[in-house]
Formats: sequence, structure tokens, C-alpha cells
Amino acid sequence: MTTYTICVFTENTIGILNKITTVLTRRRINIESLTVSETERKGISRFTIVIHHESREAVEKLVRQIRKVVEVLAVFGYLNDDIAYNEIALFKISTPIGAKPIDIETINKVYKAWVVYWHLTYVIIQKTGTEEEIFEFFDYIKPHEILEFVRSGRVAVSKSPQTLVDYLPEAEWEYYQ
Amino acid sequence: MEFNENQTAAIAAPKPAVSVEKPELINGSHALIRSLIAEGIETIFGYPGGAIMPVYDAIYDYQTEIEHILVRHEQGAAHAAEGYARVSGKTGVCLVTSGPGATNLVTGIADAIIDSTPMVCIVGQVASHLLGTDAFQETDVIGITVPITKWNYQVTRADEIPEIIAKAFYIAGSGRPGPVLIDITKNAQQELMSKAFSYKKCETLISYRPRIAPKQDQVEAAAKLINEAKRPFVFFGHGVQIAGAEKELLQFIEKTDVPAASTLLGLSCVSVDHPNYVGWLGMHGNYGTNVLTNQCDVVIAIGMRFDDRVTGDVSRYAKQAKIIHIEIDPAEIDKIIKADAPVVGDAKRALEMLLPLVKENNHEAWRAEFKKYDVIEDEKITQPELAPTTEKIKMAEVIRQLSDKTKGEAVVLADVGQHQMMTARYYQFKKPGSFITSGGLGTMGYALPAAFGAKVGAPDREVVAFIGDGCFQMTIQELGTIAQKGLPVKIIILNNNFLGMVRQWQQLFHQKRYSFVELQNPDFITIAKGFGIDGHTCASRDNLNESLDKLLASDKPYLLEVLVEKEENVFPMVPTGACVADIRLA
Ligand SMILES: Cc1ncc(C[n+]2csc(CCOP(=O)(O)OP(=O)(O)O)c2C)c(N)n1
Repeated sequence: MTTYTICVFTENTIGILNKITTVLTRRRINIESLTVSETERKGISRFTIVIHHESREAVEKLVRQIRKVVEVLAVFGYLNDDIAYNEIALFKISTPIGAKPIDIETINKVYKAWVVYWHLTYVIIQKTGTEEEIFEFFDYIKPHEILEFVRSGRVAVSKSPQTLVDYLPEAEWEYYQ
Repeated sequence: MEFNENQTAAIAAPKPAVSVEKPELINGSHALIRSLIAEGIETIFGYPGGAIMPVYDAIYDYQTEIEHILVRHEQGAAHAAEGYARVSGKTGVCLVTSGPGATNLVTGIADAIIDSTPMVCIVGQVASHLLGTDAFQETDVIGITVPITKWNYQVTRADEIPEIIAKAFYIAGSGRPGPVLIDITKNAQQELMSKAFSYKKCETLISYRPRIAPKQDQVEAAAKLINEAKRPFVFFGHGVQIAGAEKELLQFIEKTDVPAASTLLGLSCVSVDHPNYVGWLGMHGNYGTNVLTNQCDVVIAIGMRFDDRVTGDVSRYAKQAKIIHIEIDPAEIDKIIKADAPVVGDAKRALEMLLPLVKENNHEAWRAEFKKYDVIEDEKITQPELAPTTEKIKMAEVIRQLSDKTKGEAVVLADVGQHQMMTARYYQFKKPGSFITSGGLGTMGYALPAAFGAKVGAPDREVVAFIGDGCFQMTIQELGTIAQKGLPVKIIILNNNFLGMVRQWQQLFHQKRYSFVELQNPDFITIAKGFGIDGHTCASRDNLNESLDKLLASDKPYLLEVLVEKEENVFPMVPTGACVADIRLA
């Protein structure tokens, strides 16, 4: 199984999520993670979809099928090497009186993670990184009781110097200031 | 073309007086109908109901501009719109109410997407403030139709209507055509627009840009393969008809002297008389075309999509051949069969660009190879079908006699089943745009409504529908529509008292276990008469000729029921999963 990151640029309209996910579910392709937000251009959303697949050919076909959705402006399929990518995770760690103290220095310096909220009996730690980095930290912090753990979908940009405008159809794009 | 308020006012029936200072503000329903008129729409197939009543109220004012045909079931509206679109090349329009009205369209929409038929479905919806409340007749029709529409959109404000309708027609009719659904809330139909109505046809969209002209280098690569080929073979499909590329296809096959075979939906693009035409491809296609698919050296696939009914087992399909795939939808390239030379673009433009690059050639010897197989097929199958020694009438003789009587020039529809395959095999198509059937979805009940849709789209042509006794009962109520409009469509029921095609499979692959395929049929002629449609039953070969004459002589709708052999099979046949070259003759 290879991990593919599919970036889809769409018009930001109601129902577009359904239109895109239908293309995947119909072909029995599972979505490992999905992140959507508006891009630097007004009215244009970017979907970052992570899937695992054995066949590159099947992923190429999928990309073409997604491109068929009328609201879709562009679709790219990437291997991990082609992109800079990250996720964000939050860990809620139990710190009751008398528990083993958490080692903030290691957390910061070794794992580049930060405590973002202190409570009397727990802390919330934020860690950004790749899936592997997040799970490394997970293993490190596990001996402390993990009360809650949540991971976002992947965000990714291609390493190629070309910008999105090089790919998108010509238009008077309106930018955010 | 741009329509300003004055122009549309001239087209539309007079509305409340327009004062000089204030522009006339119309409601969403009137805006919808004026948009349809501006789009050149002359016919709508529909069925009213609560959530579309304001639009129906508006249509009442525009009856001189737009003809509304009241169907008996919304599935009928969809198939009628398809039949209309397929024969006229224009976009078919359906108008229905929310909830059950919309869900009844679903089969027709699914049919239209897989057969690339341009259609715009306008659906009423509950008022915006009721959305998501499970209100009376509220259904998430947008959600339901996402996978089966080319595009869909929910309109909640009257002001959106002209622009969205323009977009709908552009998307439905351009590129690879398909169905579009527009869901309009009741408040949007009722409220006044905030500005004067104006309509501008949509000609381009930022996110949707179908490629019409293929890239020159792709065409050159294809031409090179064609010029070097020893045994090239053209497969043409529905895309040729959609693009109106029949003339260019002829010029191409004549210049290159390549044999050409058709998919089910490609039938009639090339006349059966043409010396380069070698027959039909796929599951029930011709013997030679299937066997020689595995012997040609270059396949030139034009506007077809290598459906599994065409390819059989893909791992044993045309492996020896280089594949040129001319196709407007880039997602079709390499989807089933890897193309050595893809040409993405409209079939007409592609052929126009290809024509000057291909060499004149002579492939007489290669073309003659098909003849050998034709002789075998003719002897083993065609002759026994056409000149049977059995007592009962065979489907093939009915179809061939009608073909002869109409000189192969009628618009022919077939429903789904054995009679469909027989029609494809035995009608001798001479004129482009003459065969209409449900290819991709295989929708029983398609032909009757599609036939009157086709008659509306081609009023000057003879329209004949071949329908099985099973299929007929799926949309039998559309006899009412046909009768009410007096549309002179000719209906031939080929009655074998069986769900014949399923019975054939049970016979061949399920040890003759005829599980629930025998029908107790009603008296079809009495039913037709009950609707006010004339007809009769033909039970003996001696009466067939006269029966067909009577059918064709009528200037009204007419139903002919022919009692045919009960257990007849369609051959040749490539069983599912078999290799095309292993096509069975019995
Ligand atoms: C709506 C629908 N239901 C079921 C089928 C499966 N099916 C395909 S052909 C067929 C039999 C059709 O019988 P009939 O109309 O009598 O035609 P015949 O095959 O006898 O010519 C059936 C049931 C279908 N294609 N469509």
C-alpha cells in the first residue's frame, strides 16, 4: 500500500464535499484523512485527501474522475516525497497530584511539542508533524495517562516551484489581503 | 446571444403592464419559463404537484411558446426527454414536483448519465425555511442525485434562476453531455426577482472546460499508427452521433479503407450497406467483429468507452493491437483499456484533424476476412432466424420485415431484453440517428416513453418501438400520454410470455431453472383500446405482412402485438467473463 495525497481545488459551494467523496466511496476507496479550507483565493477551497492504494494507475484514474466534477478546478495526486505535509495533534494528559511529573523540556526540545493549556489535573499538549512524528510522541507520552487524543487531517503543499496559479484556469482571482 | 428585458418580453406572453419608470419585476416561476424560452426550449415533459405549482401556474401563460406534455409517471418524463434528446440532439427538459416526483425521475437520470444524454430536470422543492425539517414531500434530491447527474444545484432565491438555468443547459449539452438537475424551492418560484429579468446564455465556466479540439501531437501520433497499420479496425460508438460526426467518420473509413464496427449505441451511424461496415461489437454482436477484434493490429476507437458488454474479459481483449482512443471525456482514457494513442476531443473535430494526415489505403484483403465469418453466422444463425421452419413467428422476421417496409429509415427504439438485441441485429439501419435504446443502464420500460419523446423530436420520421411483454408493463401507463397527444408512434410488442433474456440466461447458465420469469400477461390490445389506441394481435406468420402494413398505414398511434416463439435465444453470444474471440454461435 502506498500513501497518496490528493489535492483538489474546487469552487466553495454547498454540497461539493459530497460530490467529491462520492467519487471515492463508489470505487471503495477509503479516506484516511480529509482536510478542507478556503485557499488564499476567495471562493476557492482546497481539499487534502489522504488515501492508501496499491495501484498508481487506479489513483490516476481516480484523479481524472474527480476532475470530472463540474465545480472542480484542478486535482493533483502526490506521493509523500513530492510534498511538504503535516498534521496537528492534541493530547490531553492526566496530571493529578502525586502523578509522575511530565518532562516539559523533553517535550519541547526533543519532540517540539507545546503545552497549550494547563489545568490543575491535566494539561493539553499540541504536537505538529508527520503522522510518524505524532505517533513517536504518542509512544513517549503514553505512560502518562492519555485522556484524549485527536489528530487533524493532513495539510500539504507540493514541493514544486510552480504555484497554483500556474495550474488554474486563467481568471481574475481575488486574493485575501 | 443575449436577451434583454425588451426582447424576452416580446417572446413572452403579455404580463402585467410595464410602467416606464419601474422595470417589470417577475417572479421566479416566470423567470424560469422565460429562461427556458430564451434557451430555445419548445417542449417540456412533466408532471405537476404541490412544490412545483407556481411554475405550473406560470406555464399556463406561455402555452404558445412552450408545449408541456403531461406524462403518466415521472420516469416516463425522463425517458421521453431522453428519446427527444437522442433523436434531435437538443437538450430534453423534465419538470416535476418534489419528493416522490423527483425520486420517480431517478431511473431516467441514471439512464441519461450512463448514455451521455443531455437533459435538464427541473424539480420543485419545499420552501427554504422548511429545508431539513422532513416537511411534506421533502426529499434530499440533490443528495440522491449527486452520483447520477453531471451537475446538480439547489436554487433558493428567484434572482439566481436565469444564471443557474443558463449554466444547467451549458453543462448538460456541452462536452460529454449528461443530465443536470435543478432543485428550486417553492419560495424561489414565488418571490419576485429584485431586478429586471435578463438572460444570457452560458458559454464558458471557469471550472468546467471540455476539450473540443484535440491536441495536434495526439492526432499526429494516431495518424502515424493508422498509416502503418496492416489490419486496422474502427470501433465507433455513441460519441460519433453526439458529435454529429457521421459524415467525417464515413470520409475517414473510405479514405483509409478500414473496416468499421459499431457499439450498440453507435448503430445507424454508418449504413449497413456500406462496404466498410462489418457489423456490431460485443456480447450479442456479430461473429466476425468479435473474433477479429483479437486479430487486428490497430484499434481506432471513436466515441466509445469499452463497456464490459463490448469487451468481455479485458485481459484477453485485443491484446495484440495498438489502441487509438478518440474520446471527449479524459476520464475514459485508460479507464478500461490502455490507450497507446489517446486523442482527447470531440469526435468530429478529431476526425477533421485526422483526415488530412491519414493516407489513402486499400485493405480489401483484410476486410474480406470478415466475410468468411459472416458466411458462417449467416448459415448458422441469421438464415434460420429470418426464414424459420418452425411454426411460431420469430422476433427476427418481424424486425426484418419492418426494416424492409421502412427501407431501414425509421427511427427505431428497442426496450431491454432479447427483443432489443434482435432489433440491433436485424433492423437494417440506413440513416444516421435512427436507433434509440437504453444501452448503459439497460432500463426496462425505456422504449415506450422514449418513443413518444422521439416522435416529438422528429415529427416527420416514422417512429417504431419494439418492446418486450415484460418491459411494456413497466411503463404501460404512458399509452395515456401517447393517446392524449395523438402522437403517431408505432408500437410492436414482441410477446413471448417470458422475461425472455433472463430466461435465456437461466437456460444457459442455471440449468434451465426458470425461476420467476414466466408472465401472465393482460390482453394488451384491450388495454390499448381502453386508452383509445387502436391495435391488433398477430399470431400467425401468414398474417405478419398484412399486420405490419396495417401498423404502418395508420396515421395514429398503433399497437401491434406479435405472439412470438416462447423459448428462443439470442445468438451469437459472448458469455459474461468470456473472451470476445470465444463468441458462441449456439
Ligand atoms: C428495470 C429492470 N428490471 C430488471 C431488468 C433485468 N432484465 C433484463 S432483460 C429482462 C427481461 C425482459 O423481458 P421482456 O420485456 O419480456 O423482453 P424479452 O427479453 O422477452 O424480449 C429483465 C427482467 C432490467 N433490465 N431492468
